[in-house]
Amino acid sequence: MNYTDVRIISAKSDEIEINRRELALRLKTDMDFADKALSECSQKLMDVITYRCAYIRTDISINENNICDLGFAKIKSVNLAKNLNGCSEAFIIAATAGIGVDRLLSKLKIISQAQYYMTDAIASAAIESFMDHASDKLSVGLNCAPRFSPGYGDLPLSLQTPLLERLNAQSLLGITLDSSLLMTPMKSITAIMGIKK
Amino acid sequence: MKKITELIKEKRIYFDGGTGTVLQSMGLPAGQSPELWNITSPEKIISLHNMYFDAGANIVKTNTFGINRVKFENYRELIGAGIKCAKKAAEGREDAYVAFDMGPTGQLLEPLGQLKFEEAVSIFADNVKAAVSVGVDLILIETMNDSYETKAAVLAAKENSDLPVFVTNVYDAAGKLMTGADPEAMITMLEGLRVDALGINCSLGPDVMLPIVKRLKDYSSIPIIVNPNAGLPEVKDGKTIYNVGKEEFSDYMVKIAEGGGTILGGCCGTTPEYIKMTVEKTKSLPYSLPEKKNYTCVSSYTHAVFIDKQPILIGERINPTGKSKLKAALRNDDLNYILNEGIKQTDAGVHILDVNVGLPEIDEAAMLVKCVSALQGVTDLPLQLDSTNFDAMEKAMRIYNGKPLVNSVNGTEESMGKVFPLVQKYGGGIIALTIDESGIPDTAQGRVAVAEKIIERAAKYGIDKKEIIVDPLALTVSSNPESAMITIESVKKIRELGVKTSLGISNISFGLPQREIITSTFYANALQSGLNCAIMNPFSQAMMQVYYAFRALYMLDSGCADYITFASAESTAVTNNAVVQEQTLHSSIVKGLKESAVTLTAELLKTTAPLDIINGHIIPALNEIGTAFEQKKAYLPQLLMSADAASAAFEEVKKQIPTEQSDSSKAIVLATVKGDIHDIGKNIVKVLMESYGFTVYDLGRDVAPETIVNCAVEHSCKLVGLSALMTTTVPSMAETIKLLNKTDPSVKVMVGGAVLNQEYADMIGADFYGADAMDSVRYAEKFYKG
Repeated sequence: MNYTDVRIISAKSDEIEINRRELALRLKTDMDFADKALSECSQKLMDVITYRCAYIRTDISINENNICDLGFAKIKSVNLAKNLNGCSEAFIIAATAGIGVDRLLSKLKIISQAQYYMTDAIASAAIESFMDHASDKLSVGLNCAPRFSPGYGDLPLSLQTPLLERLNAQSLLGITLDSSLLMTPMKSITAIMGIKK
Repeated sequence: MKKITELIKEKRIYFDGGTGTVLQSMGLPAGQSPELWNITSPEKIISLHNMYFDAGANIVKTNTFGINRVKFENYRELIGAGIKCAKKAAEGREDAYVAFDMGPTGQLLEPLGQLKFEEAVSIFADNVKAAVSVGVDLILIETMNDSYETKAAVLAAKENSDLPVFVTNVYDAAGKLMTGADPEAMITMLEGLRVDALGINCSLGPDVMLPIVKRLKDYSSIPIIVNPNAGLPEVKDGKTIYNVGKEEFSDYMVKIAEGGGTILGGCCGTTPEYIKMTVEKTKSLPYSLPEKKNYTCVSSYTHAVFIDKQPILIGERINPTGKSKLKAALRNDDLNYILNEGIKQTDAGVHILDVNVGLPEIDEAAMLVKCVSALQGVTDLPLQLDSTNFDAMEKAMRIYNGKPLVNSVNGTEESMGKVFPLVQKYGGGIIALTIDESGIPDTAQGRVAVAEKIIERAAKYGIDKKEIIVDPLALTVSSNPESAMITIESVKKIRELGVKTSLGISNISFGLPQREIITSTFYANALQSGLNCAIMNPFSQAMMQVYYAFRALYMLDSGCADYITFASAESTAVTNNAVVQEQTLHSSIVKGLKESAVTLTAELLKTTAPLDIINGHIIPALNEIGTAFEQKKAYLPQLLMSADAASAAFEEVKKQIPTEQSDSSKAIVLATVKGDIHDIGKNIVKVLMESYGFTVYDLGRDVAPETIVNCAVEHSCKLVGLSALMTTTVPSMAETIKLLNKTDPSVKVMVGGAVLNQEYADMIGADFYGADAMDSVRYAEKFYKG
C-alpha cells in the first residue's frame, strides 16, 4: 500500500484478439485447427475472463558484473543484462486474466479433460495476447526491448516476490504467490520490458 | 467512556484517513513498511494520530495493517508499539477510540490458493491476542478482497476477544471483491457472523462508491462504514497525487452520508484535511442507523440467495440415501463423483445444493468438510449442510465460505440446544423440521405448534425468525393417505407465522410407480400454497416443468423469458436425439461426441453384452483415433474429446457389469511428483487410460514418494506412471523410482512430461519413457498382455 505510482491497464474480453499462432502452439495443433467444442470452450472462458495489468516505469542500470538494478531489486542475471543492454529505463509489468479463470478450470477438470485442456490453452494464449496488447500500448513512441520474465534463462523465479510487491499486485490485481513462487490466478504473467535510450 | 457500539447509536462518528500519504510526507521512503516506525519513530506515529483526532476523527486505526507473524518475526512487539502510539494520542480526549487494524495476509486461501483456512484463522488470532494484551477499543478488519479470508479474520477476532468487530472490504467499480463476492453476499455472511459494522474501503474514490453504498444501505441492518480513497493516483510533474481533492471529496461524502453511510472516513490519499472538511460538512446532517431488514437469505463466496417470492430449488442429489454409486464414491473417497453431481445440478439451474455425506462407516465430519471445501471450488451456489451429526455440522459451518443453510434443527431439546449455538456463532439459515420428542404431529395445528416452539427458542439465542425456514415434512402418501393434505395445510398456516417454508418434495411419492407424476403434481400444489423452497431432483424434467410453468403463471418470470429458454432447450434436445441416430457408437467416439456416445451405448446394451461393447466398439474406436493421432492426422484436443466420449460410454457399460466381472487387474497408479503442480499431462494420460478400461489410482500432484509407494503396495499395483514438468522436480522423480524399486522390484515405472526424454528417463532408472499419452497407453496395454 506504500506505492502510489502504479498504473493500471484493463481490457474487456472482446477487446483482445487471441493470437492464433500462440493458441495453436499451446493446443499442439495447426493454426487452422477449428472445432465446435473449441469455440464453446472459448465462449465460456470469455464470460469469466477479466484482463488487468499493473505497471510502473522506472530507472534501471546494469553493471559490468551483470548485476541489474531494477530500483526495487538488484539481481545478477546474464540473460536479463543482455536483454536490457542499452536501456536506462524499463517497464515492470504484471498482468492477470483473473481468478474466474481458475474457477472455471477447476470445474472443467472435474467434468471434461478435453474441455479443460482446450480452455487452459486458450486462457494461456489469451493472457499472452493481453500482455502483447498492454506492451504495445506502453511502447508507443518508444524503442523497447522484448519482454523478459522471471524464470526465463538465468533470471530466478525468486524475483517474483519483490516484483509483485512493488506493483501492489496483491491488492491491485489479486495476484498472490504460493510457496513454490507460482502465481494465483494461474493465468498471470510478470515481465520486465526495457526502454532503449 | 462509552462503548463505541453505544456511541454509534447517538451520533455519526468518523474514522481517520490515509496513513501512507501522511507518513511519506514525514519522510517515510516509498517501499518501506510504515509499521517499522511504531518502534523506530513512535513520535511520528503519535503525531499522525493526533492530527486525525484534531481533525475530528473519533477512531484512529493503529499502524498495524501489514503486521502478522508471517511477515514480521517481532509482530507482537510491533503491534504493541503501534497500539501504544494510538492510545497515547487518544489520552485525555473525548469520544476518541483506538481500532486495532488488521489487513490481509497477502496469501490466497484454499481451494484456489495454498493457505489453509485454519492457518489463516490462527495467523489473525495471534494478532488479536497481541492486541488484546495491550488493550484497544475495537478491531477493524480492513481492505479485505476475499470473503473467505474476511471470515477467517472475523472468527479470530471473535474467538479471542469480546471487542466490537468492524469490517470493510475492497470492491471494484462493478461492486465485486477480487474473488467475486458482491455486497449482498458480504452483508449476509458478516451479519451471520455478528460483526458490529461493515462497509467498504480503499480502491475507489467516493464518487464511484456511491452505487455500492446504496446496495449496502438497501440490505444491511448494521452500521455502514465508508472509507474511500481520494480518487485515483496520477503522476503530475513526477509526483503522485490523487485526483479527488479535499473539497470534492467532502462534497461526495455528504452524498454518501445522505445515501446511507453511517461511519465515515478515508483511505489512501486522504489526509487530516480531508477528514476535517468531511466532518464539518456532514456532522449536522440528519443521522440514523440503517433500518432492520427482514430478508431471509444465505450466501456463497459470490452472491446471496434471497428466499422470498421466487421459488427456490435445492438440489437433493448429493445424499447417499438410496444411491449406491454415491455410497461407493463416499467409501472410496471419490470426490470427483460428488463434485460432478454438484456441477451437474448447478448447470440444471438449482439455487442451493444440499450436501449430505452421512454413511455409518465413514468419518462424516471429515468427509463433509472435504466435500464442502471441494464443492466451493467448483460451484458458486450456496450450500445446504445436511447432517444429524453435530460435530460434522459445526466443522462444516466453520470452514464454509459464506452463510450456509443448515439442515436441520427440530423441536427436540437436544437438537435446538446443539444447533442454535452453532448458528449463533457462524450464522446460517435454518431448516426447522416440525418434529419433536413426541414425533411428527399428525395435524397441521400440531406441526404449527412445533414450529412456534422452535421460533421462540431460537429467539433466546438472538436468532431472528427470518432465519428460520420451516419444513412441515412431506410423508409418503402411499402409507399415509392424508399426508399430502396435512402438509399443504401446514405450509399455509406456517406462512401465517411470518416464516418461510421448505419441503423435501420427493418423499411424497415413495413406493409408488411413476413417482415423478405424483411428485411434480404435489410440488405444483405446494407452490400454489406458498411454499418457498423445495429440496428436489433437478434432473427430473417433470419437476423443472412445474417450476418454470409456475413462475410464468404467477408473474415471477418477466415476459416468460426463462420459461421460453427452458422450453426451447427441451425441443433442441429432441432434435439432438435425431442427430444421435445418424451416429454409431464407433463414430461418436472417433468424433468425440460425448452425449451421443452415452445414448448409443445405452441403446446397444439392450442387445449386446457389456464386454462385447468394450472390445468390439469402444476400444476399436479409440484405437482408430489413437492411430490417427500418432500419424499426426488428428490433434490432441480431438484425442481428448474422443477419450471423454469413450470414458462416458465406458461408465455406461460399467453400470451393467457386476463388480466381480470387471477387469480390475488392469490398474495403474498415476502421480505428478513432489514439488510439481503441473498435472495436465498426467490428467491426459489418466483420461486415456480410463477410456481404455484401466483402473486408475490418481494421487494428484505434488505427491511425496512414500505416498506413491504406499498406494502401489496397498492395491498390489505393478504399474506406476510419474509425470514432471519442471526440470527442478526430476530429482524428485528419481527419488520416487528408487524407493519403488527398493520396496517392490517387480513394479514397472513409466515416466513422462515436458522436461523428460529417453536419455533422462534412462538416467533416473525408469522402465519406460512415454513421449505422449498414446505411447503410455500402448505400453500399459502391452504390460498387462505380457
